[in-house]
Amino acid sequence: MKLKQIVSLAGKNLLRHRRRTIITAGAVAVGLLMFILVDSLLTGIEEESNRNLIWFETGAAQVIHTGYLAERNDRPLKYAIDDAAEVEAELESAGLSATSRIVFSGELIVFKDPFPEDGSVMVTVYGIDPEDDDDVYHLPQTVSAGDFLEPGTNEALLGAWLAEDIGAEVGYPITIVTRTRQGFYQTIDLEVAGILNTPNPVINRTAVFMPEGVAADYLQMGGAATEISVASELGRTLPELTREMQQQIAGAPNLRVADWRTLAADAVAIAEAKESSSGIVLLLVFIIAAVGVSNTVLMSTLERTQELGMMRAIGMRDREVMTTLLVEAAGIGLLGGIIGIVLGAGGVALMVERGIDYGSLIRDTNVGYRVTQVIYGAWNLPTFGRALVVGVVISVVTAFVPVRRAVRMSVIDSLRRTS
Amino acid sequence: MIQVTDIHKTYHSGDTSVYALRGVSLDIDAGEFVAIAGPSGSGKSTLLNILGCLDHPDQGTVSVDGREMVQLDSRGRADYRRHNLGFVFQNFNLIPVLTAFENVAFSLNLLNIPEQEITDRTMAILREVGLEGMEHRRPSRLSGGQQQRVAIARALVKNPAIILADEPTANLDSETGQAILETMRTLNERHGTTFIFSTHDPMVMEFSRRLVRLQDGRVAGGAT
Ligand SMILES: Nc1ncnc2c1ncn2[C@@H]1O[C@H](COP(=O)(O)OP(=O)(O)OP(=O)(O)O)[C@@H](O)[C@H]1O
Ligand SMILES: [Mg+2]
Repeated sequence: MKLKQIVSLAGKNLLRHRRRTIITAGAVAVGLLMFILVDSLLTGIEEESNRNLIWFETGAAQVIHTGYLAERNDRPLKYAIDDAAEVEAELESAGLSATSRIVFSGELIVFKDPFPEDGSVMVTVYGIDPEDDDDVYHLPQTVSAGDFLEPGTNEALLGAWLAEDIGAEVGYPITIVTRTRQGFYQTIDLEVAGILNTPNPVINRTAVFMPEGVAADYLQMGGAATEISVASELGRTLPELTREMQQQIAGAPNLRVADWRTLAADAVAIAEAKESSSGIVLLLVFIIAAVGVSNTVLMSTLERTQELGMMRAIGMRDREVMTTLLVEAAGIGLLGGIIGIVLGAGGVALMVERGIDYGSLIRDTNVGYRVTQVIYGAWNLPTFGRALVVGVVISVVTAFVPVRRAVRMSVIDSLRRTS
Repeated sequence: MIQVTDIHKTYHSGDTSVYALRGVSLDIDAGEFVAIAGPSGSGKSTLLNILGCLDHPDQGTVSVDGREMVQLDSRGRADYRRHNLGFVFQNFNLIPVLTAFENVAFSLNLLNIPEQEITDRTMAILREVGLEGMEHRRPSRLSGGQQQRVAIARALVKNPAIILADEPTANLDSETGQAILETMRTLNERHGTTFIFSTHDPMVMEFSRRLVRLQDGRVAGGAT
């Protein structure tokens, strides 16, 4: 029997019980819709998280000291880049946008009046070059109160949530206690020049910014910086960018290049979380489809027992009968897939346009996502193709048991069965 | 052409055994028009199922043109049925989603015949059984007699050596049944196809050219 004829027969059988076909396909579609929406949301979160990481914390890639990466959580000043200005100039001479930063840990100390009460909190201090930090990062646009830093002044910018927690306002004095590059205690007095409300929760929660030159003096850096960040370039892939950087620092054996993925280990954990949650949704889809499709196929084989017996009696091979029934199941899956894709496209469009507001939720949870307030979905076209394939495959696989059952019955028993 | 030798068939259900056939022997020549008659439970359907390669006898042999049927495996039997046998059932057994034309063509689809030839042969046979103009009706829009004509056309269209019909008129009123039998006999004469059908209707028996009587699983007359 030709495949065309099998497909045509299967199609007619699906139309025989239109409502049942549509309901079953609808169940498959709902499952696939969830799969598409969750994937879109996770992709959106991942994309935004990565962007916020790149825009506010790491740049696209950095030149760092070879010893820095392993201990970067402690922000060790001993692994700093000597002659940072020279390295930066070299990168810039290659046409790259680069800026140096001195990043260190410190204890932020505030006192009652003007603050509501005495307090201290661990912070990450970023010594940034107020004039060309925005070659790489996007801080100036996020100033929500006060002004951006002036070079050479004892000014500070605070992350918005940090400012809110300690009750800081523009003009308030703060003190940072830290250690110099040589390990001596040092106290830095600063005045709050502005508050930054970024879309990056890590920055909002723990960051203090100050002019790099001032920080260098206090920490006795002697021209060293902890990192030189480079911005991503249009038309240049990340590996191309890092290769270019590598060439520029080839003469300095104690320096290395690390891209943002390497620098943000927690971003990798996010990708894993994404994998496993899509896995859970897929399992859900599988269960819906398994119950819905196998039940429908079982019903349709039961009510057609005599008809299937007749077809086998007049010489249709069991393989051909099974193929016909499995093609019917595939048809249900295909229909479900198409409905799921259409609904999914609408849902994703909504999530890309409007987003989902859950800012208050994430603020109190310390997750690795660099996302605040509103999360947006993202278009991930391969997922739509995958959904279609999953719909069809799952339908066929789950139909297999009732279909095989239908041809296991002897032809005579099938024919004798009154419907 | 068909030689049935000492066939036995017993059905077991639980502790009880039902002896459906107890040593049936029978010769049928090509082109015969044979009725198998007997009371209910006498083994007519069982015999037809065995002749139709749908069932195995426990004992005995069936040979068609010298070929031993009992030894075929299930795929071999399906292929044999596909090419050589036509079936007509008591309750017509048409595929409800297909038209009269498509139901008949279904037989030929199984044989991978070119499409144009399928169309021609199907139209010709439908005309022959008197269904011209009803090709595009679904079974639900055909009377019982018309449905059985479609079934006969489906069995005959592939030019099988033998057509087996288990009580083909039992679901029809006597007038319609008679018309169906007339059609079958005409086709038997014109095509030379062997027809073997079962019945317990005396009117139907009169139509046959040869009557084989079964009683309690044994042949009670007409075996040769
Ligand atoms: N699958 C089966 N399982 C158990 N017993 C069966 C089975 N098929 C037939 N029988 C029994 O075998 C005997 C012969 O049955 P068969 O169907 O061949 O009779 P029949 O002559 O066709 O009867 P009817 O005129 O009622 O169709 C009957 O006693 C029947 O009950
Ligand atoms: Mg019977």
